[in-house]
Amino acid sequence: MRAQGMMRGVRGIFLITALVVVGFPLVWVTLASFKTPAQLNDPSLIMFSPSLTNWAYVVEEGILQAAGRSALVAFITVAISAIAGSAAAYVISSYKAGGTATRFGILAAQVLPPAVLVFPFLTLAYVTQVNDTLIPLIFAHLSFVLPVVTWFLIGFFDSVPRSLEEQARVDGFSRFKAFLLVVLPQVYPGLGAAIIFGFTLSWNDMFYGLILTPTKSAILPVAIAGFNTFRGVELGSMSAAILVAVIPVLIASFFIQKRLVQGISGGAVKY
Amino acid sequence: MGTVSLRGVHKAYGSTTIVEHLDLDFPDGTFTVLVGPSGCGKSTTLRMIAGLEPVTSGTITINEADVTPLEPKDRNVAMVFQNYALYPHLSVAENIAFPLRATKTPKAEARKRAQEIAESLGLGQLTSRKPKELSGGQQQRVAIGRAIIREPAVFLFDEPLSNLDAKLRVETRSELLAIQKRLGVTSIYVTHDQEEAMTLSDRMVVMRDGKIAQVGTPAEVYGKPHSVFVATFVGSPKMNIMPGTLDGTTFHADLGVAWPLAHKDKGAVLVGIRPEDLNVGLDPQGPATITQIELLGPRAVVALEVAGTKLISVIESGPLAALSIGDRVNIAFDPNAAHLFDATTEERR
Repeated sequence: MRAQGMMRGVRGIFLITALVVVGFPLVWVTLASFKTPAQLNDPSLIMFSPSLTNWAYVVEEGILQAAGRSALVAFITVAISAIAGSAAAYVISSYKAGGTATRFGILAAQVLPPAVLVFPFLTLAYVTQVNDTLIPLIFAHLSFVLPVVTWFLIGFFDSVPRSLEEQARVDGFSRFKAFLLVVLPQVYPGLGAAIIFGFTLSWNDMFYGLILTPTKSAILPVAIAGFNTFRGVELGSMSAAILVAVIPVLIASFFIQKRLVQGISGGAVKY
Repeated sequence: MGTVSLRGVHKAYGSTTIVEHLDLDFPDGTFTVLVGPSGCGKSTTLRMIAGLEPVTSGTITINEADVTPLEPKDRNVAMVFQNYALYPHLSVAENIAFPLRATKTPKAEARKRAQEIAESLGLGQLTSRKPKELSGGQQQRVAIGRAIIREPAVFLFDEPLSNLDAKLRVETRSELLAIQKRLGVTSIYVTHDQEEAMTLSDRMVVMRDGKIAQVGTPAEVYGKPHSVFVATFVGSPKMNIMPGTLDGTTFHADLGVAWPLAHKDKGAVLVGIRPEDLNVGLDPQGPATITQIELLGPRAVVALEVAGTKLISVIESGPLAALSIGDRVNIAFDPNAAHLFDATTEERR
């Protein structure tokens, strides 16, 4: 009993430390977004009269439009990934399509530095005259979101008994209908988590955005980087823009956390 | 209703043969049980009839229509799986009505029929529950309900009772039989349990290594087994098989005992005696020793040892009172109850 109590104490201290490490920058950024440039010079200043100047400037600078573009890219990327990824994950799980190599090799592209892939994307974008639009960016994001979503869902499909699909086929449905009506509903929780996870991946990407959509179609992370000007870093405005980027991810993380662990541990749905 | 025929149905994965050129007929309205040890190809045969497994060669017909190339959905068969395969996200009523979605039956009618079937199976109060809220026996009945609602040409059962406990299995067995007799739908049932096969079937198909070992009524298969395999597989406790020689009037068992057995054949044979046909009598000079007695209520299974060989006898509780472990006994059987098999081919003589 005593050892158990001690373990709880240690765990508590660990969690509080982690909370401080993660939470401190967020608190600092939130405070900074309401400070004037003069107040920003004193990082320890906690009590001050908040100003909305930074937020007004950020809106004026088109951060919300950039956030809209980021959201559009993430939505399209995730929609394609969810449809193609769930079908791919099912055939890999159930029909062993592509063998073991595909099952584990699907994430192989993740070990490549994005710099290797970005040049072909940029060249293709120039050739097809879609450079500095969202189209090449969506393709670039698919290159890492689709494999991750697929890999994530394989574990969930593994736990769906094969006989469910077979039963539906005997009950009068085609393979595809059986998948849609019977198999897919069993992995809805996993699919929901995969969608949020994929959305976050796309939303957070800066590297591809910086190179494929540098100016007129700039997405949120690129626009945030724009506050690092030749006059110096506009800390207050950048903080406000960072909050615009962070808040949706925080909300998503809240919903995803439990399923994320489940997906990584191979989908522990029990029947 | 439906008649199912298999003609030269063969299934192989690469060089491994699972089912070897089967020719089988399942007459309209009959209850046929495919029985055999694990890996004998009985489940694969059922899955080929369902269309879940393609045949390597041969044809399958249902009501004289060739269904070999058809998808399961187009074969008009209903199947109950071992794990019931109930749809976890649907309620009992929705599970039962599910096949009607494929036939685009109006929702109100589907709901009404599902309710009627649920009630006929004693599930009337449970229609809004999800499968995980049901007991094993109730889940099993939902699976049967879902098979019934389609009014299929053929019912296929893949070991549907093996997940139930012993008592429930016996109860469900008779319910299943009653439903089949009431509906008169041709049924094909797979099990590895010979007792289940004996009690359920109009006709038994005993399979071994992808081939048919014997087809017949349970009484025929039990009473006149075609081979040592069938003789020892069907019946519990299993048949005693004794190697020995025949001289026309007497059987000289290799274990050193001789019994009168008139037969035209002479030479090496295998003689099979069902445990209930092996009579035991107390005799201090007898060749056998009682090594174990298992009381089964009105009867008992008595294990005997004769010259290092184990024999089994089933005796009534009356004569049992005189016996105890370690007793020397005499063993005998009615010559008409003996089954003679060829010593090399192990086929019936």
